[in-house]
Amino acid sequence: MPKIKKRRLGVKIDMTPMVDVATLLVLFFMLTTQFKPPEDVQVILPDSHSEFKLPESDVMTVTVNKQGQIFMGVDAQQLRKALFEPMFPNGIQDKDGRMVPVWLVGAVPIQEKDLLQLTVQARVSNPRLRTVIKADKDAPYGPIMDIMNDLQKANVTRFNLQTDLAHDVKGGL
Amino acid sequence: MADVQTAETRGKKKSKHKKKRRVNVRVDMTPMVDVMFLLLTFYMLTTAFSLPQTMEINLPPNDATVDVAQSNLLTLRVNAKGDIYWNKGTEPPAKIEWKDFSKFVSDQNKANPRLITLIKVDREAKYNDMVDIIDALNVENVTRFSIAPMTDADKTALAKVGG
Repeated sequence: MPKIKKRRLGVKIDMTPMVDVATLLVLFFMLTTQFKPPEDVQVILPDSHSEFKLPESDVMTVTVNKQGQIFMGVDAQQLRKALFEPMFPNGIQDKDGRMVPVWLVGAVPIQEKDLLQLTVQARVSNPRLRTVIKADKDAPYGPIMDIMNDLQKANVTRFNLQTDLAHDVKGGL
Repeated sequence: MADVQTAETRGKKKSKHKKKRRVNVRVDMTPMVDVMFLLLTFYMLTTAFSLPQTMEINLPPNDATVDVAQSNLLTLRVNAKGDIYWNKGTEPPAKIEWKDFSKFVSDQNKANPRLITLIKVDREAKYNDMVDIIDALNVENVTRFSIAPMTDADKTALAKVGG
């Protein structure tokens, strides 16, 4: 008995439109991607239900790590240079022990006593600067209170606290 | 990869002007498309569209003093352990559990729409405690609050009730 041979069907699909779309997508993603800069200070943010987004530019960040150390950074490199160069003329040591020029560092360690003066100086150079406090969840409240006091003295009465979005309905203490 | 097939010259008569030979070029696009899809997946997975998210706080300016009637002032104190105590005016502070907190705040504000909340957090407390309280106030639409440093008087008041 002869075997029934399956007829081979030559299916040809025109891939051109798919490839076109894929190319467009690749282009789009390549052009819009901004790589996340490595974190200067390790901070675990607290959660909140606020959905207010941080603006992309004109931001001054005051970072407080878990130990309560204060770091300050601005996004514009020129301003960084103007603010921090007098304090660190030789640059700042990075993790590997190399000296990095101060305008390449996103968060510069500062003392609490310098914060008021630095804030005033930064706001004189750029009045549109927004202030963000980015503090670790487990940071002690003391340094943050000092920062808020200094901001108030510098007439910054509106500032932002950077948080993560809480996924549950109600937060817990 | 790229095949070049020369088409046979058509036509018998060779005229004076040379006819261009048709060249049929077929390029195999498969490797390019493969690479492109790899790139596509890479960029899709690494792109982070979201901006960091923040909580906005408006504090009254330093030199502004506002007189508030004692009955309109709700003071929340947080001690070093993170316990929350509340009182109105000069009453002794009373402890409140976190699970009851947001209901308490919204009830208080419904009962007295002119209520102003003052938050005092101990220096030794956690930053998270403050964020949680402000977040709860924001969720309950309580916008009139302020943050004040905790003084020794506050600490003794808390110590009296065992805080």
